[in-house]
Amino acid sequence: MSGRMVFYYKSSILLLLRTRWMGPYLLLPPMLAFMVYAEAYLSAQGVTGIFTLEQRTVLAIWNASLLLTLIAGIKSCLFFSRFWGSFWFRNSLSLPVSRSSGFWGPFLATLSVATVMYFLTTGAVIAALPETGRFPWVQVLAELYVPVIWAVSAGALLGLITSGTAGSLFFIALVLLGFLTGMPSLYPSSGWLQVVVPPVGRIMTLSLVFPSGLMQAIILLTHSAVALMLGRFLYSVGIKRR
Amino acid sequence: MTPYISIGGYSDPPRIPHLSFEVNRGELVALVGEPGSGKSNLMKCLAGIRKSVRDSIRILGAEPGSMRSREKSVFVFQTFNYAQDIFLRTQLIQKISLLRGVSSRKVKDDVHDWCERMELQDACMKYPEKLNLSQLQLFSLAPVFLTSPSVAVLDEPLRNVSTSRVGAALSLILPAVENAAVLALVQKTSPILENADRIVTI
Repeated sequence: MSGRMVFYYKSSILLLLRTRWMGPYLLLPPMLAFMVYAEAYLSAQGVTGIFTLEQRTVLAIWNASLLLTLIAGIKSCLFFSRFWGSFWFRNSLSLPVSRSSGFWGPFLATLSVATVMYFLTTGAVIAALPETGRFPWVQVLAELYVPVIWAVSAGALLGLITSGTAGSLFFIALVLLGFLTGMPSLYPSSGWLQVVVPPVGRIMTLSLVFPSGLMQAIILLTHSAVALMLGRFLYSVGIKRR
Repeated sequence: MTPYISIGGYSDPPRIPHLSFEVNRGELVALVGEPGSGKSNLMKCLAGIRKSVRDSIRILGAEPGSMRSREKSVFVFQTFNYAQDIFLRTQLIQKISLLRGVSSRKVKDDVHDWCERMELQDACMKYPEKLNLSQLQLFSLAPVFLTSPSVAVLDEPLRNVSTSRVGAALSLILPAVENAAVLALVQKTSPILENADRIVTI
């Protein structure tokens, strides 16, 4: 790939590696520890029942995925809004760079950082468990990675259309709504809501069931693709109207 | 011969009703206007990052914003030529390698030598926010000197340069004029006017 294609990717990586952007990821370990502790406490109190080893493993990975989704989404909203809204970005469009890479470069850079964090976090979670049990590893890790892709894609769209703070708040609301899909008592098992609301929670509850878990992953990937296509369209309209 | 920069019937109402001129290779043309007269908007139009109302601007015979108009052109804006959160040296190397169309490794030495010659070797290891405006302006002009562009469009290139470094800034711009069409958008007190081949007033 020539320098023209990777200019924004490289610049975004350099920006994202600064403490301001990496700092929020430091919240992951304490938040994860709190969630695991809370779940163990609820289980011991008989509120959630006793988990099998497989369930505990999936739950731990899902916790990591959910927290990372939340952090990556908020961070994406703030980063994209700041990046695309900056005068530097506007002026850099006069350089001999691919203008479409101005959209894909920062997106891929943010996704790269989030992906590295995902594998580090899930790796740490698995390493911390006394035993991991026997279950389809690849399927679970792949399906629980989809919310991370979705978070960065949604962040890209929200970062384009609104301010970082407003985008972050909207994203948190969206995650909470998506979280409800994992609670069968609160959420209808069929109908248009299945498709419209991002099934972040449902991915967890179904991540061991084939093909239901896969279907939820496909729905969430479709959400990501729609957000990205819309974002790309708005980006091209935006740079032409400047 | 096709002019390197051609502006025909550009308007930015109500400030600029009509503007037409050309800049050929080997020419330094100064476009003089008061603050708020629309110079920076014209700059953005030339760089292809702003649509003008009606115009027939051509850079190297191509529409502004097209890759052809950008690949051998250097646009120096008044501010924000560099991202605030990346070391200047890194950004300068990236920029020069892009404009030369070579890998970053091949321009590192040139950038290093240039920083040394300009006594900016310490400054280049800092973030732009840590530098004063005069140093930033010199860094902004570096691509004009280091890349031998065919077209250079400079918005107030000496405005932030301290008096003692005006000569250094001019030494970055003037050698480029030999092979390039240079258009400087300035106010009427700019020292660059003494070196201009033509002056266009708006």
